[in-house]
Amino acid sequence: MTAPSTLLAISSLSMRFGGIQATKDVSIRVENGEIYSIIGPNGAGKTTVFNCISGIYRAQAGMILFKGKELIGMKPHKIAHLGIARAFQNIELFRGMTVLDNLMSARGPHLEYGLLRAAVFLGKCAKEEVRNRDAVEEIIEFLDLQHLRKSPVSSLPYGLQKRVELGRALSMKPALLLVDEPVSGMNLEETEDMARYLLDINEEMGITILLVEHDMGLVMDLSDRIAVLNFGLKIAEGPPADIAANPEVVSAYLGQKQAE
Amino acid sequence: MKHTDTTFPMLLLENARRYGRRVAMREKYKGIWQEISWEEYLNRVRYLCLGLLRMGLKRGDHAAILGENCPQWIFSDLAVQGLGAVSVGIYPTNSKEQVQYILEHSRSRMVVVKDQEQVDKVLAVKDHLPELNRVVVMDMRGLRHYEDPLIISYADVEAMGRELGDTESGRFQELVTQTAPDDVAFIVYTSGTTGPPKGAMISHRSNIHMIVNGLQDILHFTDQDTLLSYLPLCHILERNLSMCMPLVFGYTINFAESIDTVQENIREISPSFFAAVPRILEKLHSAINIRIEDSTRFKRLVYILFEPVGKRTAVHRMNRQRPPFQWLLLYGLAYWCIYRAMRKKMGLLNCRCVMSGGAPIAPEVLAFFRSLGIVAVELYGLTETCGTISGPHHIIKHGSVGEPCGAVEFKLAPDGEIMVKGDSVFAGYYRDPESTQEIIENGWLYTGDMGEIDEDGHLYIVDRKKDIIITSGGKNISPSEIENKMKCSSYIKEAIVIGDGRKYLTALIQIEYENVGNWAQNNKIAYTTYKSLARSRDVFELIRDEVNQVNETLAQVERIKKFKLLDKELDQDDEELTATQKVKRKVIAERFQEEIAEMYA
Repeated sequence: MTAPSTLLAISSLSMRFGGIQATKDVSIRVENGEIYSIIGPNGAGKTTVFNCISGIYRAQAGMILFKGKELIGMKPHKIAHLGIARAFQNIELFRGMTVLDNLMSARGPHLEYGLLRAAVFLGKCAKEEVRNRDAVEEIIEFLDLQHLRKSPVSSLPYGLQKRVELGRALSMKPALLLVDEPVSGMNLEETEDMARYLLDINEEMGITILLVEHDMGLVMDLSDRIAVLNFGLKIAEGPPADIAANPEVVSAYLGQKQAE
Repeated sequence: MKHTDTTFPMLLLENARRYGRRVAMREKYKGIWQEISWEEYLNRVRYLCLGLLRMGLKRGDHAAILGENCPQWIFSDLAVQGLGAVSVGIYPTNSKEQVQYILEHSRSRMVVVKDQEQVDKVLAVKDHLPELNRVVVMDMRGLRHYEDPLIISYADVEAMGRELGDTESGRFQELVTQTAPDDVAFIVYTSGTTGPPKGAMISHRSNIHMIVNGLQDILHFTDQDTLLSYLPLCHILERNLSMCMPLVFGYTINFAESIDTVQENIREISPSFFAAVPRILEKLHSAINIRIEDSTRFKRLVYILFEPVGKRTAVHRMNRQRPPFQWLLLYGLAYWCIYRAMRKKMGLLNCRCVMSGGAPIAPEVLAFFRSLGIVAVELYGLTETCGTISGPHHIIKHGSVGEPCGAVEFKLAPDGEIMVKGDSVFAGYYRDPESTQEIIENGWLYTGDMGEIDEDGHLYIVDRKKDIIITSGGKNISPSEIENKMKCSSYIKEAIVIGDGRKYLTALIQIEYENVGNWAQNNKIAYTTYKSLARSRDVFELIRDEVNQVNETLAQVERIKKFKLLDKELDQDDEELTATQKVKRKVIAERFQEEIAEMYA
């Protein structure tokens, strides 16, 4: 890989909900090609950061630069067009649709035909659909979903729905993938599978990953760098080994976890 | 007797010339069936073969193949054989210790592996394999950071071969003409229900002889047939169906997309011939039973009403007679009402023949398929006889494995053991002359199976000689017959009958997790895991009813007096099953001795 360049730069991000300071002065730089994790106890502001990046919340102060473009104030669909995809913690798929349809729906940003062309489905439109299906098939093969193409999402077990959720985010061909707690509620085997997929996505597809996760084993194994949030503040940042050894982190987060 | 003086690579050259652009294989990729013509088939084999040559593989060497079924598996097999080398198949489900054993024992210099999962196994044991000097990987996904010098990608080997093929165009033909019919083509490691696996050496001549002069009289293949390849390719049965027989008959072989999609792929392809091991047919049968139980009352009634029609007409068809007109009419009705839909659901709509092999099957399961109007045959054979000894040639008898085929001389020893002789008997076990001597004497192969022949020359298999149970009352009992009857139940996955030297018979039973789980849900019985389900009192009662039903069909001494449910699923990784999912009796008898002792307390 070439010398790292910054893909996403968050500086002094602050977000307040009434009396609650969700994040305060959080600054994060995600380099091209890395797996960057954000960890922290419940309510530390991790998901808030995600929501600010993907445009669901509008941060009250600070800057979020993606490939040098300011994201704050931009509509979520525009952000998606720029190449940021998100896999949600609580599965947000179209439950009544098949796996294939769900993945195809994520190709929206890549469509180059309009409603009129789509209505007659000729020429460019048909060609385009073939191309989209081809891209989606690649994801299906990548995530071993072949046997589920035609299954409605609602009929799938939780672990597989999570995988489809990830697949839909990938179908967008993003440059940055936001993954929110990909292994919550999963058993050991499913967790290991997910870890392998995330690594492959990063290495084979060259997609930068920003990860929020509670499973410490997973985070320590996968991440290139980790940021620790506590009550909306970034209290540490660095490679996994440093984070594990940081006393402040241990008391704020890992210490609590051990006490549980 | 034609064709027996040739080799598989020679047949490939001939077929590529004869069939050219006709479809030889299909592989589902990206949701679409991609076709591979005979020409392309030849080219892919040629390039790989020359690539392996450049890497130093030479005549007489051994190379192993490890992975799930795919066209590259077949290409590798033939490329190795084209060099006059010997190819060795390894089950993709084998553990790394088992992989090590086979690679070491077969003295493989190279191994072609499918993906990261298999690479990891080989690399974990490579220090014990001094003779292994290359690992060729088909699918390089996830291997970016593997820096082991052994690893080379399949595509790179092909590219090397292409270079050589472009400069020396006749090189491959030259190599192929040097292959001789009596060369060992491949080694098949037997599943090994007792002791470590043994490597049966199969020559080109033996195998082609068996196909042309034995199998063909039973199965009648043409180049119009279509098959799905899904059983493990290193087993002699699938090796024959996917690699050897298409080369002889020119039919098309299809590769399933993944293991999970086999059912769906069968429906899409609707093969004209369906070969399966008993486990698969039992599963199809019980799946249909479950579906019928879950369907509406009306549908169930229709099924029950038409059941005798299917059975009656099947008897006529097995005897090769035309059913009486009124039955034919009724069958037509039954076909359009339900049988057609059922066959379509199973993907057997265009299937002219279902074949069972690999292990004995309960005749009732085959009878079920026959009642749907499908010809269902059971073949009998050993790896050591290239797969076949007997099969029904004309009429089919319930419970029989047909007549001995024309490729072998056949006789029964005075004690009933089946013995065969002929070209299709294998060349011996690799590096194991002792075992070879034990099984072959004066050219006669002692199969170790006990059989009986009826007045029409139809063979009935009693059991493995060593498995026959002699009770303390001195009665000879065939356990597999009783076990298969129990396995016909939708709720019983595996049954092991015990009773050698004991007063009465008992059984260890493994429940079919999925079906019993469904049953438990329908009856509001709470369970969390397989273990808790198997320990439930209600499940025990359910299985007891099933066992009692089987007992009613058995003679007094053959009845199961007591049984226990295993509270763990038998697993290949725990050495309880072979790679072909056959039960290892010795291991199980040892591991569950407490349970067994309780049943005789």
